[in-house]
Amino acid sequence: MSGRWLTRIAAALLFVSLAASTLPRLIALVNDARTLLPLPYEARRERQMGPWYVSIEKLRRELPPNEPVALITTRRDIDSAAFANYYLFPRHTKLFIGRNSYRNAAYDPTKPKTIAVATGNHVERITYDGLRDRELRSGTRVVSAPELSEPSTTFVLPLAASLDGPPPGTFVIEATLANPNPVPAEVRVTFWPKGLRRTIVIPPRTTTTYYDFVYQLFAIMNSGWMRVESSQPLRAAFYFANRGRGDATLMPNAAADATRIAPAPLHRDTKLFVINPKETRATVILNGESIPLDPHAFLSRPIETLPAVSGNVYAFVTTRELNGRTDFVWPQ
Amino acid sequence: MAAMIGLAVTLILFPLAGCTLGRRSIGEAFLFGAGLTGSVLFIAGVVHVPLVIAMVLILIWGVGTAVWQLRRGSRPPSMSYPRLATMLMVLPFIALTFVAAITPLNDFDGRAFWVLKAKEIARERAIDGPSFKAVTLDPRKNHYPILIPLDGAVILGIAHDFDDRQLRWFYLGVLAALALLVRERIGRLVSPPAGAWCAALLVWIPQFSVEAEGGALSAYNDLAIAAFAAGAFFEVAEEVSPSATAKRRDFGAIRFGLWLAFLVLTKSEGLPFAMVFLAVGAFVFRKRITSSAIVAGIAAVALFIWRTRIPPGDEEDILRLLPTIPQKLHNVRAALTAFPRHMLLMPHWGLFWIAVIIAAALALRNDQRNATLAISVIAAMLAVYVLVYVATAWVVADLIAVTADRLLMHVIAPSLFLLALNARSR
Repeated sequence: MSGRWLTRIAAALLFVSLAASTLPRLIALVNDARTLLPLPYEARRERQMGPWYVSIEKLRRELPPNEPVALITTRRDIDSAAFANYYLFPRHTKLFIGRNSYRNAAYDPTKPKTIAVATGNHVERITYDGLRDRELRSGTRVVSAPELSEPSTTFVLPLAASLDGPPPGTFVIEATLANPNPVPAEVRVTFWPKGLRRTIVIPPRTTTTYYDFVYQLFAIMNSGWMRVESSQPLRAAFYFANRGRGDATLMPNAAADATRIAPAPLHRDTKLFVINPKETRATVILNGESIPLDPHAFLSRPIETLPAVSGNVYAFVTTRELNGRTDFVWPQ
Repeated sequence: MAAMIGLAVTLILFPLAGCTLGRRSIGEAFLFGAGLTGSVLFIAGVVHVPLVIAMVLILIWGVGTAVWQLRRGSRPPSMSYPRLATMLMVLPFIALTFVAAITPLNDFDGRAFWVLKAKEIARERAIDGPSFKAVTLDPRKNHYPILIPLDGAVILGIAHDFDDRQLRWFYLGVLAALALLVRERIGRLVSPPAGAWCAALLVWIPQFSVEAEGGALSAYNDLAIAAFAAGAFFEVAEEVSPSATAKRRDFGAIRFGLWLAFLVLTKSEGLPFAMVFLAVGAFVFRKRITSSAIVAGIAAVALFIWRTRIPPGDEEDILRLLPTIPQKLHNVRAALTAFPRHMLLMPHWGLFWIAVIIAAALALRNDQRNATLAISVIAAMLAVYVLVYVATAWVVADLIAVTADRLLMHVIAPSLFLLALNARSR
């Protein structure tokens, strides 16, 4: 066999090896294209990328063309955010890995107000509160084995909050309500001083838990105090928890007046809190100064040293350790 | 029908621009035009000449030159190619054109970086606008060269449409132009049948035609790097060839420098690639390599100036990583085996690389000068890439998995040339 024929056979073999891989894929691509052909162009993208692209289209309809968007994602879903950035063009986007990186940009003037969360499955517009709630819901509570109180029908939480501190500080009330009775317990929760009220029902012999009691019940991020009244005696535990740091403090039942705060070390951001859980006006005397309080009032003041407090109210102090942990100094 | 504007711009603008420095074959004109348009716009952007004005000047120059050359009746020499090879070359393009016309872009890098940059440039009409200065967008891969996004921006700008469907033709056009360039140049350097068959083989390589990441249906820049590297390689090969016309040789060094400039401005790998070519070209062009180096140097300086004006992204600074190589010797084995392993990936390359290795061995016996030229370019470039793999801060196995096949694309022209040399030697 001549060299010329050898070359031809080698070239044919090489060509067949290439065509064997390319041809089936080319045919598949053409067939895919044929199925897409009757569809409008955007519908072809929907077919290619599925629900993820549908969510992008929805977001594009919701947002004005010049609306800057904060794309919040996780390290795992960063590709999704990159493609969301592509398809949201010409909207300017800024990428944040996690809620805390968005919070850290608090002083960045270019930080967009509009937030979208990008996952591998979809991209959607969300409020900051909603994003926070989603993160808290999907995580684990700080207190896994709460210390339940003796059965009672009334609880007064001297501090109830759903708030963010300096990142990663995320303050919540982790609540556990156990109904040991054979009948359902109707529980009325009132968030003061706003006076917001919600009623929940706890089925017989059931324990209900909340990872963010204030937000889950009232859908607000705020602070105040709370009255919990049940139709049946409940065993309950309410923890003031910092999910960002993973620490928690059990809240006492502040049903009775108490103002005698024992001396304790004070660190930074120290505050005195005074609440008037009664239906009538009250007076608190701070270092000799008499301050009238409306019914259900919630007063907080920054302090340097422990003041002398008296009156028919409930008073306590919070102080933040250098490591960020919040210490409570309760009245005796 | 909306995407037809993109098709028209792609088919008319770049070949026209490619004719500004002399009449050439359609494939070469397209690639030269794409390179020239992107480079001129880039340098215009660096010196703050409005991109629209630069674009209009390119258009006027291109049209004027084309008309002048048509009047002169100058045409590149025509060759006759085997029909079967031509048909086999055209067949995938018919299918790919149908697919590109219908299916939306669905790759990774194209959407994450390259086309996005094209859209930003088209909107901001600047190469250092807010998007690049990271005022509004995250500067992911901010320092990547932007020749191809500039070409894309031209298409999007003229089409008045930021949809990527306008750009699908461009990437397909680059593959078609590369195939035509291979056919014409190998046809001239070796023989028309060799050129035609090499072009046919090229378009049937899965990595070039159907591969989702890096192929003609994606918006990666590796195809453009392969095409510009082919342009540079053939300039050197033509200089070596005794059959090359004296007229082409006159401007060979300048054209070579321009191809290198295109490489520098297309992708980060382009700069080391250009340096490898300059080193190889120095043996061929001798004193005239200075003009090539000056042209490529202007592009490199412009790139560095531009980079100083915009913040870096999360791309790797390989030069800074090089001193860390002694601490990363554990990467050496993976880096050294990366290309041999990927060369044997049948779904990407068939028997192509096995054929190239055999052809290289045979060509060294039969046409040592040309074979040495092609092998030295391939070996030097792959050595550079191996070095990058050793130095990388990424998980080397992950980096190899996503890049090795695309890097192999860059040396396609010298590889096809080796195959062709073997055909001639018979």
